[in-house]
Amino acid sequence: MKKLLSFKWLLTLLLVAITGYFYSKDGVITSSVVSTALIFGLPLALAAMVGIMCERTGIVNIGIEGTLLFSAFVGFFTASATDSDFYGVVAAVIAGTASGVLLAFMSISWKMDQIIAGTIINILATGLTSFLYKQGHTAPTTSQIDIPWLSQIPFFGQVLFMHGPIVYIGLVLIFVLYIALFHTAWGLRSRAVGEHPGSADTAGVSVFKLRYLNVSIAGAVGGLAGAYLSLELVGSWDRGFTAGKGFTALALMIFGRWNPMGALAAAMFFGLTQAITNQLMFSQIVKIPDQFVNMLPYILTIVVLAISAGKVRPPAAEGQQYEKEQA
Amino acid sequence: MNKRITGGVAALALAALGFAMTPASAAVKTIDESACGTAGAFCVGLVTDVGKVDDKSFNQSSWEGAKAAAAKAGGFSKYIETLDPKDYASNIDLFAAKKYNVIVTVGFLMADATAAAAVKYPNIKFIGVDQFNGSTAANYSGLIFNEDKSGFIVGYLAGYLTRSGKTAAIAGGPDTIPPVRKFIEGFANGVAYAGKEQKKKLAKTSTVYYSGANAFNDPAWGATTAKQYLSQGYDVIFAAGGKTGNGGLAAIAKKKGAYCIGVDTDQWGTVPEAQPCLVSSAMKNLAAGTASLVAQAKDGSFKGGNFVGTVAAAPYHALASKVPAAVQKKVADVTAKVVAGTIPTGVKQ
Amino acid sequence: MAGKKFSRTWLTPVVAVLVAFAIGALLIYIQGADPLKAYQSLFSHAFGSWSGIAKTLGKATPLVLSGLAVTIGLRAGLFNIGVQGQLVTGAFAAAWAGYFIHGLPIYIHLPLALIFGITFGAGVGLIAGALKAYRGIHEVITTIMLNSIILALVDYLAGHVFQEPGQILARTPHILPSATIPKIFSLPSGFFFAILLAYGVWWVFQRTTSGFRLETVGRNKSAAWYAGISVKRAVLIAMAVGGGIAGLGGGIESLGVIGRFEPTFNTGLGFDGITIALLGRANPLGVIPGAILIGGMRGAAASMQFDAGVAPEIVDLILALVLFCVTAPFLAKWLKSTEVGAKITSGWGN
Repeated sequence: MKKLLSFKWLLTLLLVAITGYFYSKDGVITSSVVSTALIFGLPLALAAMVGIMCERTGIVNIGIEGTLLFSAFVGFFTASATDSDFYGVVAAVIAGTASGVLLAFMSISWKMDQIIAGTIINILATGLTSFLYKQGHTAPTTSQIDIPWLSQIPFFGQVLFMHGPIVYIGLVLIFVLYIALFHTAWGLRSRAVGEHPGSADTAGVSVFKLRYLNVSIAGAVGGLAGAYLSLELVGSWDRGFTAGKGFTALALMIFGRWNPMGALAAAMFFGLTQAITNQLMFSQIVKIPDQFVNMLPYILTIVVLAISAGKVRPPAAEGQQYEKEQA
Repeated sequence: MNKRITGGVAALALAALGFAMTPASAAVKTIDESACGTAGAFCVGLVTDVGKVDDKSFNQSSWEGAKAAAAKAGGFSKYIETLDPKDYASNIDLFAAKKYNVIVTVGFLMADATAAAAVKYPNIKFIGVDQFNGSTAANYSGLIFNEDKSGFIVGYLAGYLTRSGKTAAIAGGPDTIPPVRKFIEGFANGVAYAGKEQKKKLAKTSTVYYSGANAFNDPAWGATTAKQYLSQGYDVIFAAGGKTGNGGLAAIAKKKGAYCIGVDTDQWGTVPEAQPCLVSSAMKNLAAGTASLVAQAKDGSFKGGNFVGTVAAAPYHALASKVPAAVQKKVADVTAKVVAGTIPTGVKQ
Repeated sequence: MAGKKFSRTWLTPVVAVLVAFAIGALLIYIQGADPLKAYQSLFSHAFGSWSGIAKTLGKATPLVLSGLAVTIGLRAGLFNIGVQGQLVTGAFAAAWAGYFIHGLPIYIHLPLALIFGITFGAGVGLIAGALKAYRGIHEVITTIMLNSIILALVDYLAGHVFQEPGQILARTPHILPSATIPKIFSLPSGFFFAILLAYGVWWVFQRTTSGFRLETVGRNKSAAWYAGISVKRAVLIAMAVGGGIAGLGGGIESLGVIGRFEPTFNTGLGFDGITIALLGRANPLGVIPGAILIGGMRGAAASMQFDAGVAPEIVDLILALVLFCVTAPFLAKWLKSTEVGAKITSGWGN
């Protein structure tokens, strides 16, 4: 544990130092790269929250990809039909919640194998959205909000305070989730249900209700991530639109050790490597084939994990059905 | 209790399915398919590359061309959407078994399968979109395009439009996909040509390729990469490559004052969300090329070898006011010269 | 007694498939097409003729193997999402050996090329296994990352280093006749090999101590540890064997179907493997019907569109419905099957 901590801080310090160095060399590019890291990383971080919320209460969610795809779809076409980005975002969140409820229903009420339940959501979302898609629609998108005063700060202004509303909501949400999970009664109960549902039950916590609630909230967070992709970042929707982000998010959730802050850091690290990868190709400083440059984020993730290592442990009751003991 | 929930969920799901699910009928009727193979009937079949006929790109344009040409000839047309590249040959076989007169195969990956089918079915005419035809079969014609010329022309336009002198090209797809590479390199050379002509110091066009599992299918990557370019002052960006490129176009549209350039078809219609920035597209006239080959098959002037389709910069549409008349004239001049070959694009074929 | 047991195992899946197809028919009807015509086309093209059967089995072959690769992982408590990468690596390595190595007779060249596929597939699996065993990095992370790394790598290799001379596309030269998998009565012989392998894996889990060890690790790591079973070894073996089987699947694709390596020709097989393993309830023999079902539907999707104008996405929707009906408890309850709520996976392992 100590080793891990020191490595974590060392890496952070190193990144700050490198960023500072490059900022002194070229402020425009450095600010651009770091803010791009956030844009790359945020949807992944939010999607990882979906996994964390579910798994902390003992439900495995491999259906994040499906939730993102479906909610991005519903969000885009609702925004298009109502001509309102706000309704679009709301619809996406509702669609995400619905997929959460479906997962909860299959895995809690019907006690289906949880990985199968998630896989069903993925295939269903892919097939359904692809079937229903019609091209030629446009939708209003959320517009960038520069936070007054704060956005004027050099470097930090561009990196943190010149984004669309979902970025701000998403970032705040991740902090809120972290605090809620580790510093509130709800969080304590949720984690207890994820570790020792039997004891939690004995202590008067309704395992059934809490799991339902958390998996549904997780779906809503996934809906927000979907809305970010289709209504804020890209401004369109297409078949297979999410391109595996739900699965990358699973990896980042584990990378971040089922902790919202950890997953945020993992997603930002992954986003940063993507942004740096792009910059390497933009500036054509190094003459290596693009295919190898494109591999960098994935290789670096493995390397960092291999160095930092240490055993990760998922919540103990994850993937298990809970049967209330009959006295 | 559980039963009621189940029923409710099922009903909701079905309602959701029924909503918006509209007939995806693959057939356009002028004559009936059952007539195919009889004297006087004219049937055109199209096999897509992996993807759908509404891909906003080469599958869609080729199908539009084939459909229109078949309708004009009073014929019948139908398509099959390929799921797996290993099915190219068997999908062609489905049309051949029904004695279709013309089979259009879309995409360079299908070149081998099409050449083999042309030998197997000597009475059927084959049109291979984006396929260089190296065979001598008289019933197989490759429809090819000089993507480098198309890229060069819009690059030239970009060289005149850029204020910051920084232009960029985002390729959805790796450099191992020939049309992608030729578009991108042509664009960069076009920008350089415009720079030299203006005696203006333009930065070498920055290019980025994307390889891996989702090379063509990651709009979010395209959008984020476009934003990264925009925040570094690049103001004219060419986004080429499937859904990845389309994502880039959509993101650039949200930046005031930036221009984006589409690819393959006039994306003004296919990617309407890009209209605020879409000044032009590097067009291959896929629909026109396919249509004229289908028409040749009908009137008997069809011959083998390769048919070079036309390329052009797509119309400026609403952004015409942003392009000075003098520049529009220059682009028209250069287009003629590039197409004629008097200005070489300098791109390795 | 035997009859009762038979019906318990087989009745639920069969009824599930029927129910899924019934709902699918409704979807096709809503879409404005004729479901009867569509299904008639589907079955006659997938199973109604010798060439149809050959196509179905050909499609099922890599799916049996990728399903098997996922199954072995699940049995050992590992979730191998990297089957796609392992399969593609095997496809590339086998194709390379198939064209690059000259002058060998078929009975040496062909097995050698397949061994190349198996070895390299196993190698990729082993990377994930070793990172898990020695550095504690979760296999879900490494296999997802490795998928992306490998797809970029093979694109470079086939597009630059080992590209067919004079070719502009990213692909290797064609394999030699001495490395081509022959057909048995025009049926793809790889399929029979895959079936044998499925039986072999089943036998290992059913009858041998190595299988028992893997399974014990999958059920309960600490129990395995107390029983003196090396967890590390089990993880390494499960990932390597799974990767090797996936690599074999890729090799059979290159040597028996495609005839070369082309990066875009192996898409989706690994991910279908996950669905198939789940459909087969992580039973090595259970992957066979699942693979044939999916192979048949994917193979006949084009003719279904040709004959009845049904968009090919219907296949995915029916697949989701089948998986749902097989797993959802109401059907099993109704049929009085014993497998209500059966658990196959164990989350992310422990």
